[in-house]
Amino acid sequence: MARRTLVFAGLSAALALAVVTSLAFGAVAVPLGETIEILLGNGGGGPHQQIVETLRLPRTVEAMVVGAALGIAGAILQGALANPLASPDVIGVTGGAGFGAILIIILFPGSIALLPVGALAFGLLAAALVFSIAWSGANRGSTGKVILAGIAILSLFTAATTGLLAAYPERAPSAIFFIAGGLTSSGWDEMATIWPYFAAGFLCAALLIRPLDRLALGDDVSASLGSRPHLIRLGAAVAAALLAAASAAIAGLLGFLGLVVPHVVRMAGGTSSHTFVVPASAIGGAALLAAGGTLARTLRAPIEMPVGPFMVVLGVPLFLWLLRKVV
Amino acid sequence: MDTGEQESNGAPMLQARGVEVEIAGTPILHGADLRVERGELVAVVGPNGAGKSTLVRAVSGLQRLAAGAALWSGRSVEEMRGRELARARAFVPQRMPVPAGVTVREAVTIGRSSHLRPLRRLSDADRGGIEEAMERARVTRFAERSLRTLSGGELQRVQIAIGLAQEAPVLIADEPTSQLDLGATIAIASLLRDLVSDGLTVILVVHDLALAAAVADTAVIVSRGRTIAAGRPTDVLNSERLAETWGADARLTEHGGRTALHVAWTGLTDRGGDEAS
Repeated sequence: MARRTLVFAGLSAALALAVVTSLAFGAVAVPLGETIEILLGNGGGGPHQQIVETLRLPRTVEAMVVGAALGIAGAILQGALANPLASPDVIGVTGGAGFGAILIIILFPGSIALLPVGALAFGLLAAALVFSIAWSGANRGSTGKVILAGIAILSLFTAATTGLLAAYPERAPSAIFFIAGGLTSSGWDEMATIWPYFAAGFLCAALLIRPLDRLALGDDVSASLGSRPHLIRLGAAVAAALLAAASAAIAGLLGFLGLVVPHVVRMAGGTSSHTFVVPASAIGGAALLAAGGTLARTLRAPIEMPVGPFMVVLGVPLFLWLLRKVV
Repeated sequence: MDTGEQESNGAPMLQARGVEVEIAGTPILHGADLRVERGELVAVVGPNGAGKSTLVRAVSGLQRLAAGAALWSGRSVEEMRGRELARARAFVPQRMPVPAGVTVREAVTIGRSSHLRPLRRLSDADRGGIEEAMERARVTRFAERSLRTLSGGELQRVQIAIGLAQEAPVLIADEPTSQLDLGATIAIASLLRDLVSDGLTVILVVHDLALAAAVADTAVIVSRGRTIAAGRPTDVLNSERLAETWGADARLTEHGGRTALHVAWTGLTDRGGDEAS
């Protein structure tokens, strides 16, 4: 128990640090003390306050929400499918969202505001295709069937995306930022459209924590307790699809985060209990993405780089260190 | 533990009739009956593949019925969902998967979760129920240990504790002793018998006929997808039936609480082996 409290404390401290640095650093550095004053409402209305409030705060909040969403999506999918390789990629969401976004970038370059909608719609469409295949016929809802259907649909959408990029090579460069995963400074607009999907996904995930702990003791124990295992798996997949598609709409393709963060918190906490893993993955994912976002913005300021590679650079060494030490 | 009392007047704890089950188009059960009275221990016995596990899974609501009916205190299992089902019976599988880092107490707490509304925390009554389930299954001593560090016998008792935490009046155990050594088997047998003395009803799927005869009030014999006999173990498990159903030249004896199955292991004696093959 103490170890879990320690992990929570560590993750929360990391998140607080990542948030404050994300607000303070950028093309213009705002002193840490002033950043905190601005956050507390004592900013005094100078240009720093405007930078923090209108540019950095929305982006930092986006990073936290997307990071938490992907961490949770990975945690509940790995739990529901009892498979350590499960991530939003596996239920087709990432492939679909990528295709939807590239479709807008390449075919409707004038309406780039539609990009989040395209990513969201195709992400959910891909997941719906996976679910309708995996939850019908014999063995409906079995782990193997979900994963195989997911990989097939993922390949299909990836191929379509590659085809589009190959057909319009001159427009491919503008797609790279989305594919690599990037946070933009577009204020609150995207969040204003997408937040209900996040809200629904977070609520489903919270309701799934207990059923997932039952499922961890096997389908029979779960059924003995009155749950229906294939419905728990479906619920988890739907919640993960909502969270991952909404994330892709805002920040591009960051599937790696959903795969790795739950493993990191499981190894650090020494338990696979969802009461611990789901909230810890949310905090861990938020911290990792906020920190990655700061790096992506400051290393070559004022040029903004996509956050995906930086997050990977931060996350992989930690993951590998734990993998060596714990497993 | 007053589940179903109001509608139980006269109705047996479990009454299953004409149960048929198909799995992936293959008929597994075609006409099985199972009647269980309040407070008895019923052993379901039969050869491998006869349909014993399928029968108890079907009456528990873990397996869809193709035909027939299973009534818990008069109410059909097919009409029960969620919490109602969890409070009617607890099903203890042969071997559950064991998640990493989960302690015995946490696992038993999961068994209690059928009592909780979504997002609600454990009440004092729930905590008491968890402690009591661990006491009764004799796992309190290692409550803080991780499931992965337990022996087979300890893990089986934890599984029973998870079932007890449901506080259902019936515990159904599917071959709990099939992978255990003699001492651990005795521990499970005496535990189940004590639970019955405390008022619990137990349905036990078991291979070991000497064990079944020792612990059960009633033995139900399943053969080739049908129930073919039910009654006092030493009556229904007579030599003729052991020959017909198991193809064994064997005799079951009981004396002073000890049971024994005397078997012609190499089939050298005259009866049984040939006619069954």
